[in-house]
Amino acid sequence: MRRWLLTAIGAVIAGFYLFPVYWMYASALKVSDELNANPPTLIPHAPTLAAFRWIFERENIAQFMANSLVLSGSVTILTLVLATGAAYSLARKKSVWMDVVLIGVMLSQVLPPPLLVTPMFVIFRQLGLINTQLAVILATTTKTLPFAIVMLRTTFAQVPVDLEDAARVDGSSRTMAFLRITLPLARIGYIVIGALVFLLAYGEFVYPVSLLSKKALQPATVGLYGFVGADYSDWGNAMAFASVFVTPVIIVFMLLQRRIVSGLTAGALK
Amino acid sequence: MKGHQRLRWERALDSEAIWPLMAGFGALYLAFFVGYPVIYNLIMSVQQVTLGNISTVFRPFVGLDNYRKLVDDPLFATVFQNTLIFVTGNVALQFLGGLALALFFQAAFPGAAFFRGMILAGWILPPLVIGAVWKWLLASDNGVINYALRGLGIVSGPIYWLSDPATSLIGVTFANVWFGVPFNMILLAAGLAGLPQDMYEAAALDGAGPVRRFFALTLPMLQPTIYALLALTTIYTMRAFDLIWTMTHGGPVDSSNIFPVWSYHLSFELFDFGGGAAVSTMMLVVVFIVALIYVRSVRTERVS
Amino acid sequence: MRREFLKQSVALGALAMLGGARSAAAADPVTMWHIFGAETEPGLKNITRWNETHPDQPIDQKFVPFGQLSQQLIKGIATGDVPDLITIDNPVVASFATQGALEDLTDLVKASSFIKPDEYYPGSWATTLWDGKQYAVPGEANTLALYYNADMFKARGLDPEAPPRTWEALRKAAEILTDKDKNVFGMAFCAIQSEEGTFQFLPFLQQSGATLKTLTSPDAVAALQLWTDFVAKGQASRDVLVKRQFEMTSSWLAGASGMVVSGPWELQRMKEVKFNWRVAPLPHREGKGIEASALGGYVWGVPKGARNKAAAFKVIEFMSEPAQMLQAWSGGRLAPVKTMQVEHPAMPEAYATFRKQMEVARPRGPHPRWPDISAAMQTAIQEALTGKSTPEAALQKASRVITPILDRTPIVGL
Repeated sequence: MRRWLLTAIGAVIAGFYLFPVYWMYASALKVSDELNANPPTLIPHAPTLAAFRWIFERENIAQFMANSLVLSGSVTILTLVLATGAAYSLARKKSVWMDVVLIGVMLSQVLPPPLLVTPMFVIFRQLGLINTQLAVILATTTKTLPFAIVMLRTTFAQVPVDLEDAARVDGSSRTMAFLRITLPLARIGYIVIGALVFLLAYGEFVYPVSLLSKKALQPATVGLYGFVGADYSDWGNAMAFASVFVTPVIIVFMLLQRRIVSGLTAGALK
Repeated sequence: MKGHQRLRWERALDSEAIWPLMAGFGALYLAFFVGYPVIYNLIMSVQQVTLGNISTVFRPFVGLDNYRKLVDDPLFATVFQNTLIFVTGNVALQFLGGLALALFFQAAFPGAAFFRGMILAGWILPPLVIGAVWKWLLASDNGVINYALRGLGIVSGPIYWLSDPATSLIGVTFANVWFGVPFNMILLAAGLAGLPQDMYEAAALDGAGPVRRFFALTLPMLQPTIYALLALTTIYTMRAFDLIWTMTHGGPVDSSNIFPVWSYHLSFELFDFGGGAAVSTMMLVVVFIVALIYVRSVRTERVS
Repeated sequence: MRREFLKQSVALGALAMLGGARSAAAADPVTMWHIFGAETEPGLKNITRWNETHPDQPIDQKFVPFGQLSQQLIKGIATGDVPDLITIDNPVVASFATQGALEDLTDLVKASSFIKPDEYYPGSWATTLWDGKQYAVPGEANTLALYYNADMFKARGLDPEAPPRTWEALRKAAEILTDKDKNVFGMAFCAIQSEEGTFQFLPFLQQSGATLKTLTSPDAVAALQLWTDFVAKGQASRDVLVKRQFEMTSSWLAGASGMVVSGPWELQRMKEVKFNWRVAPLPHREGKGIEASALGGYVWGVPKGARNKAAAFKVIEFMSEPAQMLQAWSGGRLAPVKTMQVEHPAMPEAYATFRKQMEVARPRGPHPRWPDISAAMQTAIQEALTGKSTPEAALQKASRVITPILDRTPIVGL
């Protein structure tokens, strides 16, 4: 009984919380003069798929989405690979140098991309990477890497050192103990942090718009800004575009959430 | 011969040398790609930079003039105060909201995982869309929030959330908290899931109630996650830009103007690149202090 | 991804090897950064036309969202990576020009047989000049007028055929149309803290008889008082302080206001409007009789360091031909040339009104420090409308910022 009461409360919280998300979907289905109706209409009076039809017919959304997925997928992998070593050593080794690294990692994410992108452009030109998705992946990773390092560090810090020590007594090297013992125990952290890194990268806009000039390479975020014009923004179509942009990700995350939870109930660290 | 080599290999993998090596990869990556841009901005902040000389590095050196100009600007006090309120409000509310939700959905009830997953959807929307949607919701005449408040009889007239200088900062804080809570929640949930259950069982056997257990066990053990989250949220809020830009453009009368918005305005609307860079350097200083505090907390972290 | 990268490198290498043999016949593209985001933008259609007719020199285009335009151009200038041709928002031309960021087009324009300065609207043309030199060519233009809900006019006893022609009539209409019980405002405009706020206020300042040099005059105060009164009396929503022009028009479309000041870009969505609507010229101030409106739109510029200046200018000339320029109307913009007229325009009355407004549309500046001037104006407008200070005090404060700027570098003709 009490469990179902909690379910009801949970549903109310989620429902309340998701209202803005609902509003995005509802707006995508409204005809344009209903978007600003007074009083506002909670449920579209005459729902129409016109905006979606527009998106699929006039905008190359499949291409945009594919680019977004390639970019954020690559950023996620690169970030987790680069972050692992740094996070682990920061979790296990205390020294002034490690402090310096940690402070540097924190500082590296302060400046907003619009200020960073000009000098970064120079770097990528030296590397001959302008107009390649690789440049965007490398640039976006500078944004996600500090986050991943800091959060993975806490994940590793939560794994008892005793377990590694035990493995080392059994003859494993430090590195092998990390790979065999700590890494598997940190999998929840990897899933959650990887998911968040993916989302961070999925929403990136400034780097792709600055480093890529071919529309065929641009991710969906750049397409979305196409609806925000000099003097007119086409919110109806923009909301439809955004809906198409986020829905697959929301679905994947709902499914993923289940996996995370099964990891939790299995007793993560035992 | 082969055995000897194997031994050396093993020893290398076991040596202390792996620490700087492992940390080095990530650190060098950031130093390479972000180090130069940060220094580039630092240099610009002590130079007189115009569109005419922006393409060279050798621009007139003006010392701290850009900083002095900023501090003398009547806007400085306003923007500083706004940033302080915005960042404190956001960090506190995002963290507390995230923690409350993480604890709630940790309870074993049907659908807990499902609802928690759904809440993450808020974090997936692009900032442009979040800004636009919240601007609609908070509109004074046809906004849903005013409509609901009036329908429930809580207020009689409309609240000018975004267009009243007294409330515009609250309005954008709402939207930004809404955006940041799922992020806090999911990381705290992961942290909670990593806590050893046997200690709770022992504490429960000792007769500790849920509140005691929360303060005596959960909070201390969650400390690394909490400090990391607080530090990250502070930094992310410090550079929050898109939401405010979409919702109020920093207005009315700069009542929702914060450092990153000001920096952008100076650099890309007024073409005062030195000024924009100086604002961003001030942000760096603030975050440096936050990072120092965080590093201290890491130092005192108890090793489990 | 790595494989993708390798593939790209290999492809590049292969291209480089072939390069020697192919370069003679290879196309030499003109690179262009533009703000044509929506697939329906006439600008995109015109680019396609050029590419069809000039296969040897196609346009290599990149869309840059409007809000990113200055930022991207600055990045381009700073790194030396600029396109041959770029669309620039007209009020910042002087800023880029004085700093040597734009190529001087004076001789090319003089020699051009297509581009004739005296055929352009004077306001539009003025935005492309700085210090007697030509730094850009108008691409398209827009201006402001008064949209009104004719049904609402009729219902409230106003004559829909006689829109307010004077400030007094405007005040009156705003009062009559306001219906607080129904949450309807008589008047709507945009006073946001951005360039759009200045854009909308300047015509009223000019109608008052004041200029940016006489901001402390009673005339200037009267203009700001007019706007302040609309808000203070509840005849305009306080959301004018944060909503953009199109957002104010959206509210008007939803019946939340009887009138709204906006531009021709709104016409695209007027087809779906369920009430009778009209668009009238902006009113003038009684006793002054000054007709004035704002001047918006992008211009074509060639960034300093562009590799292909001559070809870029050929594109500008192509885009300035009537066949291309008149496309603007389909996107809700006007040709900046007064001698060009669409033959059977959609919405002929609106077309006529906006063309009439173009005659009196005045440029913002041109001035290299226009962004600073504009920012001071935005603050003044917002301070008065929020009640933080009186219109008088707000304008005095703005004048203290603007006067020294204009003393050092005056605006031509002001």
